[in-house]
Amino acid sequence: MDMLDAIRANLLSPAVLFFVLGVVAALVKSDLKFPEALYVTLTIYLLTAIGFKGGVAISEAGLGVVWAPALAAMALGALIPLWSYPVLRYAGRLPAVDAAAIAAHYGSVSAVTFIAATNFLIQINQPYESYATAFLAVMESPAIIIGILLGKAAGSGRGSIWGPAARLALREAVFGRSVLLLVGGLIIGALSGQSGMAKVEGFFVTPFQGVLALFLLEMGMLAARRLEDLKKVGLFLLGFGVAAPLVHGVLGLVAGRLVGLSLGGATLLGVLASSASYIAAPAAMRLSLPEARPTLYLTAALAITFPFNIAFGIPIYYAIARWLYGAP
Amino acid sequence: MTKHPMKLVTIICEALAREPLRTLLGEVGAHGYTLFTVEGSGAEGQRTADIEAFANIQVEVIVPAAVAEQLMARLEREFFSRFGMVVYEGDVAVLRGGKF
Repeated sequence: MDMLDAIRANLLSPAVLFFVLGVVAALVKSDLKFPEALYVTLTIYLLTAIGFKGGVAISEAGLGVVWAPALAAMALGALIPLWSYPVLRYAGRLPAVDAAAIAAHYGSVSAVTFIAATNFLIQINQPYESYATAFLAVMESPAIIIGILLGKAAGSGRGSIWGPAARLALREAVFGRSVLLLVGGLIIGALSGQSGMAKVEGFFVTPFQGVLALFLLEMGMLAARRLEDLKKVGLFLLGFGVAAPLVHGVLGLVAGRLVGLSLGGATLLGVLASSASYIAAPAAMRLSLPEARPTLYLTAALAITFPFNIAFGIPIYYAIARWLYGAP
Repeated sequence: MTKHPMKLVTIICEALAREPLRTLLGEVGAHGYTLFTVEGSGAEGQRTADIEAFANIQVEVIVPAAVAEQLMARLEREFFSRFGMVVYEGDVAVLRGGKF
């Protein structure tokens, strides 16, 4: 399968097509709108399902196999802001606090992008390590913490990293809804194992694809409503929003290969490294670095990088991974 | 029936300000408040309420004039630089003045 085949297979999957439908709905200003409660419900379902599935995989594979790639994933998440910051600050001439906030977003991860990638791999019958969900869980917070430190070092906000605002942001980053559900799901899945999976499979596995399609419909609307702000972010950030995921994606693939993941697992680590957080990171930055402009970081993460990854990034990283692994 | 003059302070702000705001209300001695999720548009663009984190909240609190004064002063000093926020007060008359 070459890159074009991979992109075509991805673009024609129901999940991505529903994402496009969401974009269209927002562009034509349709009255379609998800109630907030439904959005939250779908999020909880997806995070719990993927956490549980990953936990069952850990119980099969054993913790001994998981810790090395998980550590690599964590290190990657923490390191990405360290080189993104100078690029944004000096090449992009952005104010220090904006550069720190954007760097945090790109180091942190997007769960939906990860889930869409697993969906893509299932669709093309590419096996992967289901315990990769553990990488997702450990990659969300480190970059946020590094981003806060970078922003505080640049003199944002009164008070230090230990001030009440930063403390609240850190607590959100470490104990927020997504990390709690993912880590909780992983533990419950690991404890209950394959026999537990048999009990909940009908709810957590079979309807998963449909729920994801519905969720991406909402995400399409959410991303498209941000499109107006593209004019405000400037060409540099537009380019960064596409170039950064490509560079980080390749780094993730190489790291995955080095720690001995399979072709599918390395693709997932590449997707995680390339993705940018648009829920956890914005909330943490708003609380800890209030001078950073949400228009910049939210638009870059949600209106540029997220759609790029969903439509093109995932199959591109997969195609590069195939080349890296010498797959025919 | 006896009516007591009070101040109704209304705060419309980012949903993220919820916890710090709750703490502040406790510190200035408000005895209760009402909070709801709202959507609208203003200086920071449109705020849709389909994601909790992107929504605005509206907090209404009825307090004696002295507490309202202190609350608004602290909001101006400690919150305006950190959160998108609109604050206003109005005169209201309440029954059972002791409740507030």
